[in-house]
Amino acid sequence: MMQSHIRLLMLILTVGVSSAQPAVAGPRDANELAAQIDRRLENHWKAEKIQPVPRADDAEFLRRVYLDITGRIPRPADVHDFLSDNSADKRLRLIDQLLESPRFAVHFANVWRAELLPEIASNREAAAFQRGFESWLRERFRAGVGYDQLVRELLTVPIAAEGQDAEPVLRDPERPNPLAFFAVKAARPENLAAAVSRSLLGIRLECAQCHNHPFAQWKREQFWSQAAFFAGLRRQGDGLFAPLTEIVNQHEITASGSSKLLQAAFLDSNTPKWQKNRTSRAVLADWITSRDNPYFARATVNRMWGYFFGTGLVDPVDDFRDDNPPSDGALLDDLARSFVESGFDLPFLIRGICLSRAYQRTSARTDASQENARLPARMAVKSLTAEQFFDSLTLATGYREDQDKGAARRQFLTRFTLTGSTSEPETSVQQALTLLNGRFVSWATDPEKCPTLIAATQTPGMSLAQRIETLYLTTISRKPKAEELDPLERYVLQAKSNREAERLADVFWTLLNSAEFRMNH
Amino acid sequence: MTSVDLLTRRSWLRRSALMATGMSLSGWLGRLAARAADDPRRKRSCILLWMAGGPSQLDTFDLKPTHANGGPFKEIATAASGVKISEHFPQLARQMNRLAILRSMRTREGDHERATANLRTGYLPQEPIRFPSLGALVSNELADLDADLPGFVSVLSQGAFAQSAVAAGFLGPSHAPLVVAGSGETLKVEDLKPPSVSAQRSRERLELLHKMEANFLATRRGTATASHVTAYDRAVRLGREAAARAFDLSQEKDSLRDQYGRSLFGQGCLLARRLVERGVPFVEVTLGGWDTHDNNFEQVKSLSGVLDPAWATLIADLKDRGLLDSTLLVWMGEFGRTPGINPRNGRDHYPGAWSVVLGGGGIKGGQTIGRTSKDGSIVEERPVSAPDLMATICLALGLDPKKQNLSNVNRPIRLVDPAAEPIKEVLA
Repeated sequence: MMQSHIRLLMLILTVGVSSAQPAVAGPRDANELAAQIDRRLENHWKAEKIQPVPRADDAEFLRRVYLDITGRIPRPADVHDFLSDNSADKRLRLIDQLLESPRFAVHFANVWRAELLPEIASNREAAAFQRGFESWLRERFRAGVGYDQLVRELLTVPIAAEGQDAEPVLRDPERPNPLAFFAVKAARPENLAAAVSRSLLGIRLECAQCHNHPFAQWKREQFWSQAAFFAGLRRQGDGLFAPLTEIVNQHEITASGSSKLLQAAFLDSNTPKWQKNRTSRAVLADWITSRDNPYFARATVNRMWGYFFGTGLVDPVDDFRDDNPPSDGALLDDLARSFVESGFDLPFLIRGICLSRAYQRTSARTDASQENARLPARMAVKSLTAEQFFDSLTLATGYREDQDKGAARRQFLTRFTLTGSTSEPETSVQQALTLLNGRFVSWATDPEKCPTLIAATQTPGMSLAQRIETLYLTTISRKPKAEELDPLERYVLQAKSNREAERLADVFWTLLNSAEFRMNH
Repeated sequence: MTSVDLLTRRSWLRRSALMATGMSLSGWLGRLAARAADDPRRKRSCILLWMAGGPSQLDTFDLKPTHANGGPFKEIATAASGVKISEHFPQLARQMNRLAILRSMRTREGDHERATANLRTGYLPQEPIRFPSLGALVSNELADLDADLPGFVSVLSQGAFAQSAVAAGFLGPSHAPLVVAGSGETLKVEDLKPPSVSAQRSRERLELLHKMEANFLATRRGTATASHVTAYDRAVRLGREAAARAFDLSQEKDSLRDQYGRSLFGQGCLLARRLVERGVPFVEVTLGGWDTHDNNFEQVKSLSGVLDPAWATLIADLKDRGLLDSTLLVWMGEFGRTPGINPRNGRDHYPGAWSVVLGGGGIKGGQTIGRTSKDGSIVEERPVSAPDLMATICLALGLDPKKQNLSNVNRPIRLVDPAAEPIKEVLA
């Protein structure tokens, strides 16, 4: 309903209806939000004498928006269709189409899981919860629930009251399982307080867990008062798989290494209103997802900004502090207001960001003044998550999971898990070796085995240039420039006539190993 | 790739790294630039024998033969007068003059993950700071970034607890461990060599890659592309004949390989010696299986049979090659085990009183430090914390524990928690 309404509005706007409405409550349509983003940034460019880069060409934009929204590169046919489409609103239509594709939910479930349960990358027991938690997130994203609703459901997931049968935390690894969040945090109030503050509110409260830092804004008591909202949780047994119960009305806690009992308290001046039979988790969830919460919307839009632009307006994206101010506070407020007004609608926010000129700029540097990492005068070069990378490799090569029972996928997901931040992506030696010499790439560059290579080398009637172009389109989602094509044609032609396929395989190997394929730019 | 190409790529990296000081690039790239100016000559190396799971101190280096907690193992005398260890370490006993036992480790973490992180980094996990492990810290201080071999090699670490704790953390990819995996009896670096491609074709491919991505790299300068270039550069150098040969144990005499023991761990210790000999500053070799909640004694006896020849031969071999005085040896796990024996004839996790062994370069061997109570349950003399141990290790390697590195949260973090008190009496 809401979405078609917005689309109608956007359609009207793109044919030239004035959008000069007062922005008191924040713009309700994504085009207006995009325009607001660009106005703010342009003021900044003027003031700082920064020359932003030009707009990205269609192929660069296409690959980026596919990776950002669906978590993988476009298919060659998608590239062809998009490049040959001459309509003025094709970028807008593409953004909508991708947000409505099933891949959006799949990819954002991966992204949100990695944020909420980072333990899964390093803890083998925790990894058992990955599929169930992602499956739950996927289902919620697919259902189109507001982000406030999703967070409320996560925080208030039913847990058996003390005295009843304890709640199993893992019935079926595949079944949607929001309880995984509590299980993986070992149901410990301090773990949950740290995760909730950081992932949902953008506050690194855990630094105050052990002692007060002289100049920090958060005090140790506040950390434990936040933890007190989870003080009623009990794990019945040891280990992450132990079932849980909850003492419904408990909302006080003793800080570790102290004897003082602390009451649950919000991080702002509001005070919790307790009700009988209402868990303190529910009280906390109400406060977090309230329209007036001073942190929640700002933290969320900032996280999304950081996701799409590589660097948050506040950066690191989960480190809001008085002494770490946003690069543009007014812009952050605009975004937060619009997000609240939209009903915490993530796709709306994503539309607004992706429609902005800022998002649609090239990542190629054209002027020294663009080296300001805080505001995007050019698009950042971003890392790919392990899933984004392998899913893209799958599309590029024609790999099918059943050919090795998913072994390659598992290997890549382990070896290519992100360790750094998105703004400082890192490639390890091990990763380079895997791509230079590993079994998967050997298979992918075997002209007798890899479906992409078979098609590119054996389809009759194609010129050499077309064969090379196919390899470009399948991997880096663009056509080669003339100055790129010439040397590659010469390289292939140098070969004896019966080795042409092998030489084309070398070109394919090169593309799969290139920084341009490895990164989102 | 020709050496000229490589040189160009590397000097490009340098230039872009140096440029970083004037730009907003933070983190490891800036530090890379700073390092490039340093004297690359390294002084010391460290071999860490990591006992994953937490070895039982009561059945290895702090026996309590007269107490009910002691279990069935006997003590034997060693080359160091007054120092006694388990009867299942006969070869090690002869090398005891080179080793010092710390019997008074006292830590607080009894969970594998957290304890591993604590002992490997010297800090308790404190999200979002990505603490580097000891190997990465040492690599950062002592590695020659122009060497073909990496500064940190991790042998047999696959499947161990807390993988993130053995990583480079905020020190970045140049100091991430190169993992040597084992299967059956062989150790290898995964994907070191292309399986079926000639050297000529490999070279041609790399040249093609270099040309193909030159424009992209030039227009997208920054940490992402610099890290990509560094990793490929290092991977290619590692694949070079001389570097790859370091990992080829068939170059060693069969008799020596037998002395180390034909276990993966034994061969891993031999590999550690080969790497240290070639200038790698930090090598760790993992021996897992110490999480002996059941059948502790059978398991520890069997593990001792693997450990004893490997470790003792390593000491002798390093000595023969004149490397022992410049190579620090560290033997530890993440915690010790309960003095009490559980109903399954096992011992459970126990961080309250346990042992670590140091040896080789920088260490005054042939002594014990600290003491536990008669029943082994408490430290009675000279408690040692994880940071104390880390600071001692740093000093033995000639590093300043108070030196600071810039972390991923843009806060300087010292090599070791400043509250640490190094164990001066164990340092040579």
